[in-house]
Amino acid sequence: MIVILAIDALEYSLVEEFNCYDLKQKFYGKTDISEFSQPRTIVLWSSFMTGKNMEKEIVSIGDKEMWYIKLDIENTFFNQFKNPKIIDLPGFTYSKEQHENERKLLKEFFDSENDEEKRNIRAAYNNIAFEHHRKIKQEFTSALKGDFDLVLGYFSVADVIGHLNFGNRTMMKMIYKDLDEIAGMISNTFIVLSDHGMERVGIFGDHSNYGFWSTGFKDIGNPRITDFAGIIKEMAEVKK
Amino acid sequence: MSEQKLKFVIVGHVDHGKSTLIGRLLYDTNSLPEGKIEEIRQLCESLGKDIEFGYVMDHLEEERDQGITIDTAQTFFSTEKRDYVIIDAPGHVEFVKNMISGASQAEAAVLIVDAEEGVKEQTKRHAYILGMLGLSQVIAVINKMDLVDFDQKKFETVKKDLMEFLSDVKIKPSYVIPISAKNGDFIAKRTGTMDWYNGPTLLEGLDAFKTKESANNNPLRFVVQDVYSFDKRIIAGRVESGIIRKGDKIKVLPSGEDTYIKSVEEYLRNVTEAEAGKSIGITTEDKLFIDRGNVIVHDTDMPIVTKKIKANIFWMDRAPLKKGETLTFRCATQEVSCEIEKINRVINSSSLELIAENASEIRNREVANVVIRTDKPVVVENFNKIEELGRFVLGRDDTCASGIITEMEQ
Repeated sequence: MIVILAIDALEYSLVEEFNCYDLKQKFYGKTDISEFSQPRTIVLWSSFMTGKNMEKEIVSIGDKEMWYIKLDIENTFFNQFKNPKIIDLPGFTYSKEQHENERKLLKEFFDSENDEEKRNIRAAYNNIAFEHHRKIKQEFTSALKGDFDLVLGYFSVADVIGHLNFGNRTMMKMIYKDLDEIAGMISNTFIVLSDHGMERVGIFGDHSNYGFWSTGFKDIGNPRITDFAGIIKEMAEVKK
Repeated sequence: MSEQKLKFVIVGHVDHGKSTLIGRLLYDTNSLPEGKIEEIRQLCESLGKDIEFGYVMDHLEEERDQGITIDTAQTFFSTEKRDYVIIDAPGHVEFVKNMISGASQAEAAVLIVDAEEGVKEQTKRHAYILGMLGLSQVIAVINKMDLVDFDQKKFETVKKDLMEFLSDVKIKPSYVIPISAKNGDFIAKRTGTMDWYNGPTLLEGLDAFKTKESANNNPLRFVVQDVYSFDKRIIAGRVESGIIRKGDKIKVLPSGEDTYIKSVEEYLRNVTEAEAGKSIGITTEDKLFIDRGNVIVHDTDMPIVTKKIKANIFWMDRAPLKKGETLTFRCATQEVSCEIEKINRVINSSSLELIAENASEIRNREVANVVIRTDKPVVVENFNKIEELGRFVLGRDDTCASGIITEMEQ
């Protein structure tokens, strides 16, 4: 089994600051996403799974609609595996309802001018993000025990929570430590990959223009996100 | 609460539970601002976990960063007996530097060891530095007993390993306590988890320690700052420790000449004695040659007058100190030239790793045990006896190092 821990907005500097040993593995670094005009989640994950820059194609669908696309497995490197389990990946299996709920609350938060109302919206937003995270964690942990040749778990908590709470260091540390714990549960060869990182804007967070990667087997330098399809295919070949 | 506050530091391997222990101490002594623990509990629950006290420190640090709490480097809690200050050093370098320079002097230490992992290299380094700094009030806690089913045998094994090492570095802990910082076992209260342990809880152990004695109770050390001749000859200085009284028989060091105190002079006050901390003047019965840098003492419990000192120093100049180099040695108001005769041991203050023994140089931010030879006799003390005469600085044009005296040759 090959495992991919796909973490949205996992920020290189916080992995370092919070000493997330298991997320770092033996080799780790930043990805180069400079070929993209903006660090958009759907664009980056779609490019990851297809192994080619999908920006033009995805952007042409429209900002809102792009979140509903589901790429055909035949257009992704997942087709190299007999029994892959892809959990919640944007552009492939991501929960539309979850995303819509988050977007709705985010909009309400920024539209509101009342402090107490903002606090309540933030609490509701955080709650649905954490609830989803617990669900995905459970699904991922079960999948690790299953009979799959590829398990990809996509975790959005660092991104979703980060957008409204990146200035809350304790909250972010707890999330990173939890993600580190998830990485620590994986006993197979695995890759940790983020689409982009996150930078602080006041108490909020915005996407940074590089991502994070780590492996336990190879230093891959400063790869592009589109390089991973090839790297994972190679790993699968070696396994065979 | 009548006693003074006790300052202590918690040291040990990075993963052995230091933050959790601090969080637990604050929680069990009701020292956390209202609502804080609830926020952390809720966050832990959101991630499907039990409360983790380690995050209490993160929360407090965050507030400090935002300027919400007033103090920036110290954490406070209280027991029924007294107040405590946990000295919070951001890293080894700061801890060692602050301890040697006196910026934040811990009076006690808690050495934390993981019951599962046992004594690690970092545990040893930290213990070594405690020994080097002369801390004698030490409690060792064997943490995470919950992970080893509160097993007495496991505790005894780790304790034996630890005691063997501590005896090598001349540290004799007052107590070795099995605890679970996570669950709160034997921190503030006894729980039914370890009936085989009859010793104190951590807070009881800390309460048994002594705060620094009042400098008034120490032997007299009056450090001369200057001598003025008006209608009478006034010797101005500061009482660093002890009490000086009219009529006292005194000895002037380093010369060793004896005389009596004729009067104690304090500006606009009519006094016959002065206690530690006072800057005053005195007149003497006999007209002796007394100068800046001299130390006036009673003729019992005298300091050492020597030209050879063994000390631990923290070097803080970009240009390394070379063995044999001549520097200025300043201790209280004494100022003499000195030479670094021997560099016994050099330690990296960040990793606490031993860099070299019998070395030829000390680089920036390194800690070293050295032998210093002064060109004239100086009046000094072991740092642990009288701090004011046991601490010194070394300088080129500017101050390059601070140090504490561990041994003197008479």
